[in-house]
Amino acid sequence: MSEIYDIGYRHYEGPRLGRGHSARALAVHSLRGIFGLGRPARSKIMPFLLATIMVLPAVVSIAMMALIQQRAMSYSSFAVVMQAVVAIFLASQAPTAVAPDLRHRVLPLYLSRPVSVPEYIAAKVSAMTVAVFAIVAVPLTIMYVGELLIDLPGPPSTEEYLGAMAMALVLALLVSTFGLALASLTPRRGLGVASVMAVYLLTLAAVPIVYATLTSMGEDAAARWAWLLNPFWLVDALQVSLFGTTPNSEGGYPAGPAPALIVLALLALAIGVLTARYRKAAAQ
Amino acid sequence: MHILATEGLTKRFPTVTALDSLTVGVGPGVTGLVGANGAGKSTLIKIMLGLLPPSSGTARVLDLDVGTQGERIRRLVGYMPEHECLPPDVSATEFVVHLARMSGLPRTAARERAADVLRHVGLAEERYRPIGGYSTGMKQRVKLAQALAHDPKLIFLDEPTNGLDPRGRDEMLHLIRRIGTEFGISVLVTSHLLGELERVCDHVIVIDGGRLLRSSAITEFTQATQSVTVEVEEGTEPLAERLLAAGLKVSRHGRTLLVGVTGPQTFDAIRDAAVDLDLCLIRLEQARHRIEDVFREEEAGV
Repeated sequence: MSEIYDIGYRHYEGPRLGRGHSARALAVHSLRGIFGLGRPARSKIMPFLLATIMVLPAVVSIAMMALIQQRAMSYSSFAVVMQAVVAIFLASQAPTAVAPDLRHRVLPLYLSRPVSVPEYIAAKVSAMTVAVFAIVAVPLTIMYVGELLIDLPGPPSTEEYLGAMAMALVLALLVSTFGLALASLTPRRGLGVASVMAVYLLTLAAVPIVYATLTSMGEDAAARWAWLLNPFWLVDALQVSLFGTTPNSEGGYPAGPAPALIVLALLALAIGVLTARYRKAAAQ
Repeated sequence: MHILATEGLTKRFPTVTALDSLTVGVGPGVTGLVGANGAGKSTLIKIMLGLLPPSSGTARVLDLDVGTQGERIRRLVGYMPEHECLPPDVSATEFVVHLARMSGLPRTAARERAADVLRHVGLAEERYRPIGGYSTGMKQRVKLAQALAHDPKLIFLDEPTNGLDPRGRDEMLHLIRRIGTEFGISVLVTSHLLGELERVCDHVIVIDGGRLLRSSAITEFTQATQSVTVEVEEGTEPLAERLLAAGLKVSRHGRTLLVGVTGPQTFDAIRDAAVDLDLCLIRLEQARHRIEDVFREEEAGV
């Protein structure tokens, strides 16, 4: 093989771009990894299967609008109705974004380059956020385009659509930072999937139990707080307070700035966990 | 000119002192860093990359301060870690392109550089397959390629020959020599084996317990460590006596004798002794020095 070596070495004289370029390159690389692009075929099955399932209700909704002039589902309720699929997507793909770098110890290769720990975290969070946003926003947009083409009686619900898109972004950011924080605690991918799924199921199961208990005690006002235990209803509560949409919960949500404050507090907590986790990993 | 220089560099961890007021300078070319496990080699490299703050003392790499200019240093140096560091599910091409971009190269330049360096390290068609299916030798080449991807001024190679078979080891050492000479990239390479470094380095630094034991040009080292290993089928004892009687420096290492070489006449003396005693001479070879030998010599005050 030695003849292959015998081609002279060429130095690189071109530009060397800044850290912003590196962070963007990392975000794009991670996003490709989340959808299994540039990976073996089996890595593509799960993300694309789940993305397809997300689109199905949009297709059904368009069909219903065309045939019986009725909406199957409102834009503002889409994320809450489809929450299980979004959660499975998060649980199966968040570990893909963080676990390999920890498990196969690729992290030192990144950190021996200009990129810093906060930039590494920001790139991973952006990639996961874009991925979750995409699987919610694409069906919403398909439904909206369908509505415009079918031309239902009355004005199109553009405002509700844009509100739902904005909330999809908030939801994506919230669940992505949380999912990554949980997944980054273990270098094992399977364990990451299990822990994200377990936390989601816990928040899903806690809501009806707490709600039913408090309602039976006649504490209706307190019972409304139960919905905020689950990230999807929490973001729906934010949507209701910001855009005045119909609540997707029994009995509505507590009024006031509480949902917004809880979202901010949870984001801060998740980013704190990620930062602590990677500071520790970098020091090793 | 110094590529790398430390001044009273100390690194204390809660339980151990990894580096103990180390003052050393490294010039251009290939420099070997030798030390036993835990001698502080990897800690030194991490400090040089600006990833670990020193407890006290200063260090400069390419005339940049590691404390304040870490980012600029990381832009100009390459690092090949000792441990496995490759994701199994991407191809070598995709991985090296990605890491070249992480070092600041634009997309097209990163593609060209990745193709170039993968060819230089000797990865052909297999570079399009996922890394998970590679042999240890091929993985080591990918690790080296990613360190070279952005055309650094200096590269740190941490135990690059670890886990390689003799042929892979030879090829890796040959490649390191070429990087230092033809490519014009300075190299700091660590190893347990001094004999290995003798073949590729211009200069060798020996550290032990975080302290500098020795820093000198390779020529001084080889002069100080001229000796041959002699193995005979039986009759090691009489041969040792005969050689001692002839005024040679002889020490026993299990079944073999280590004989100090004073000149070409030493080899003649060994041959003649074997013939006179009617012994079956199996091996007569240049001794492979292990780091322990240097320590022994240092302790003996050589």
